[in-house]
Amino acid sequence: MAEKWIYWLKEVGQEDNNVVGKKCANLGELTKAGFHVPPGFALGVEAYSRFMKETEATDLLLKFLDDFHADPNNVADTLKYEEASNRMRALIESVKMPPDMEKTIKEYYTEMCRIAGCENIYVATRSAGPMSHPGQYETYLNVCGEGDVVFNVIRVWSSTFNTRSVIARARLNLPLHYDPIGVAVLTMVDAKAAGVMFTVNPVNGDESKVAIEGSFGYGEAVVSGNVTPDRYLVDKITFEIDEKVISDKGNEFVYNPETKEMEYVELPPDQRKRQCLEDKEVLELTRLAKKVEAHFGCPQDIEWSISRSLPFPESIFLVQARPESVWGKKKREPVLGKKSGMELFFERATTPVKLKM
Amino acid sequence: MGEAKKFPYASEVVLPPELEGWEEMYPPQRLFSKDREAWENKHFWYQDKIHAPEPMYPLDDIFQEAWQISLSQFTTRVFCIPPAQGVAQRMLGCYMYITAVEPPPPEVIGEKAEHFQKRVFYVFENYDDLWDKWLNKFQALGREMEALKIPKEFDKYVPDSEIFPAPRGYTQAYEIIEAFNTIISQIFKAWQYHFEYLNLAYLGYLMFVDTARKLFPGIKESTIGKMVAGAEVSMFRPEEELCRLSRLAMGQPPVAEILKKNISAEKKMEELRAIDAGRVWLEEIDRIKNPWFFVSCGSGWYHFEGSWTNKMDVPFSYMQSYVQRLEKGEKIERSLTAISEERDRIVSEYKALIKTDEDRKSFEDAYKVVRTIYRYAEDHLFWVEHWLHTIWFEKIREFGDILVKNNVLKKTDDIFLFNRFEVPMLLEDLATAWALGVGAPTRGKFWMEKAAKREKILEAARKWMAVPGLGVPPEEVSEPFTVMLWGVTTDKVADWLKGSEVESKDVTEIKGFASSAGVAEGPARVLKLLEDVVKLQAGEIMVAPCTNPSWAPVFTKIKAAVTDIGGLTSHAAIVSREYGLPSVTGTGIATSVIKTGDIIKVDGSTGVVTIVKRV
Repeated sequence: MAEKWIYWLKEVGQEDNNVVGKKCANLGELTKAGFHVPPGFALGVEAYSRFMKETEATDLLLKFLDDFHADPNNVADTLKYEEASNRMRALIESVKMPPDMEKTIKEYYTEMCRIAGCENIYVATRSAGPMSHPGQYETYLNVCGEGDVVFNVIRVWSSTFNTRSVIARARLNLPLHYDPIGVAVLTMVDAKAAGVMFTVNPVNGDESKVAIEGSFGYGEAVVSGNVTPDRYLVDKITFEIDEKVISDKGNEFVYNPETKEMEYVELPPDQRKRQCLEDKEVLELTRLAKKVEAHFGCPQDIEWSISRSLPFPESIFLVQARPESVWGKKKREPVLGKKSGMELFFERATTPVKLKM
Repeated sequence: MGEAKKFPYASEVVLPPELEGWEEMYPPQRLFSKDREAWENKHFWYQDKIHAPEPMYPLDDIFQEAWQISLSQFTTRVFCIPPAQGVAQRMLGCYMYITAVEPPPPEVIGEKAEHFQKRVFYVFENYDDLWDKWLNKFQALGREMEALKIPKEFDKYVPDSEIFPAPRGYTQAYEIIEAFNTIISQIFKAWQYHFEYLNLAYLGYLMFVDTARKLFPGIKESTIGKMVAGAEVSMFRPEEELCRLSRLAMGQPPVAEILKKNISAEKKMEELRAIDAGRVWLEEIDRIKNPWFFVSCGSGWYHFEGSWTNKMDVPFSYMQSYVQRLEKGEKIERSLTAISEERDRIVSEYKALIKTDEDRKSFEDAYKVVRTIYRYAEDHLFWVEHWLHTIWFEKIREFGDILVKNNVLKKTDDIFLFNRFEVPMLLEDLATAWALGVGAPTRGKFWMEKAAKREKILEAARKWMAVPGLGVPPEEVSEPFTVMLWGVTTDKVADWLKGSEVESKDVTEIKGFASSAGVAEGPARVLKLLEDVVKLQAGEIMVAPCTNPSWAPVFTKIKAAVTDIGGLTSHAAIVSREYGLPSVTGTGIATSVIKTGDIIKVDGSTGVVTIVKRV
């Protein structure tokens, strides 16, 4: 029997990193654990392999690469890589998907539409590598219609041939023609605001806080660093909002139905410095962050999105969760010097408080 | 240190001319002086708005005088906190300034450390037992003060009972002098007891703050306050009694009806005495009145604040609103279980976040230490500043009454215009005139004129905007009260410096401690004189020099609280949190910058008070 290559999100979990890629595995895990995640399905790395092998794609790539020579450590060769990347991506994107795969993907999409009770729902096709390569591969938003879904899945696969991925593989002496990844096909959240949150204060490692950053529109604006987001620091235990920094957010990242492209649109002056989240949303996000952290058992870096059409709290979606990479890895050393309460008391009694004038 | 970063020295402060003669109200050792100038100028003095937010009446100054000795000795000579010395006081323009005395020489620190370890360890080991002993001896002292006999009037002739079968040998002339000496000794002793464990309680708190901050750098002091606060402390009991009495009244509709009327407490009691159910209910008040109505209407530090026992309008107005709320089906009591449960939840959740077993063990142990001793900070307050001070003021007024009856003073409370060394002169004058026989004069006219002049000086002092600090701020502070109670920090001193340069009408934003989270906007009610508490309207934001737990029922009326001075664990901050009211404490200048009627916004999460609209 052929290996399974397509899954509903709820069919996968943390343990399936290598099967469907990290992002899909984590989203599956969140879905199974009962979190509010946009519905969708995952294409495994097997789908990538089948596509590359069962079409002429691999042959075409290898033939092209026979004549390609460049030094990944030479900056001057970057242009060569860029040209090769364009050629390889054009090649992949011109290949037709094997008919049975195309049919199955379309069936999954149709089923998503049926469950949502609406024709041609908007979805995002997101890359999901088995290893974390944040921002290396590409994601396409507001994809609509079965034909477009199939095409954009191929585009995500082809993004493994974008310039930086090719150079990265060349530097590591990995084969240039092959880098299997998973793809998540997720229902789009019509985001009024979105962003990222950490279940630890990223500034000082204080694990009693949740740090939330958000801005208007889709979350890519915050993740990419293209806007200065609003910042909130919330105490996980008292649920008090300790800090609230409302920034001038400048732009919002939105979908333009005419051009069918995502674009940055300047916010009207009265909107720029408005708080992008209501306090109750901040507190609900904190509650969710605590639950996700408890589920995974370590500090988390979570992406979230708030729908403009659904009522609170169903409006809040989690779109990604992964272990926080800085403080989560720090070695856990005692900071109180193994002292008893009385020793701490004596220490305090003998230490003057400094005043800085 | 730059020239700009200092406050004027005491000798550089220019007082308004109306204050002329203020010095004679206070004993000379309490004034800044040429002969001690070098030592005085070495220290940084700041106005003590916690204990002396108002110009000081000479006799009320006795509490200050007593705590200068008591607080300091427990640090320097009893528990011997190694680097810390006492807190010194000086009067200037009728306001009190204090300073943490500079640290002792290194060899003294070493000597003290040995005593410190041994003595402090013993206290922590035996605290529960020691607390019982403390309460017993303190209550006994209070009962002695209550039992003190002060002549109501001088007898024309000593009665036979003092002659037969054997003459007593002394008269009321001696008795009144002795009684005053005795009550002075008693109040000094009470203030000795006041600090018995307080220095350690504050140090314990500071230790726990440090410990929690090492583990959770961003933990707020208001959260730490919630962790250490006790729910069942004596200070909350008076309010609980009012709740209970209100519920009792609900069971007797005619009683509840009388309590709801908009008439004076005196009238209410008269009407209650006229019906059976009312008499039964009043008996219940009489039963619990001592100690639970011995509550100051203010901080307990000033005679004019009054206590519930002599300002029954205060408890009756609280009960009026309680009865009204009970009729609406609202709950009036603080839920002690809910408070304890919330405290335990917060502590256990923080504990669960600690990353290593070693730290968790240290934290648990530190928490145990602070919980052992901290309740002293909350319990002593009721017994000293409220219960015993209520007795003190009543007794002192008995001396005032007899002076008035014999034309030595005009009004009973004028006795508070004379310091504790002067009152014996008035009493002696009176006793002498009585002894001399018919027609011998006192110096009543002289004393009365003096009282009138002093009242004027105090009035002028009230209008004077006293400087917040004197001299050069120090680089470090090790005296626990300075840090904990007066909240002297780098930022605080910087704010005082800034505040002394700005015109108060130009200030639109002031900062303090974020002591209870939440945001509220509304009209301000500035309660500079604590007795103004009666003027407070529902929905107003209270702005006061410092707040006090005896005002607890007020917190059901107001939207938020702002104070000039006060730590995060002040009882007011605790009560604010319990009622879920935003509060900002320790702003330094709120009562001088904000006017009653100004629309202000209080953000208890950030500690910022914004003046939205001026009247």
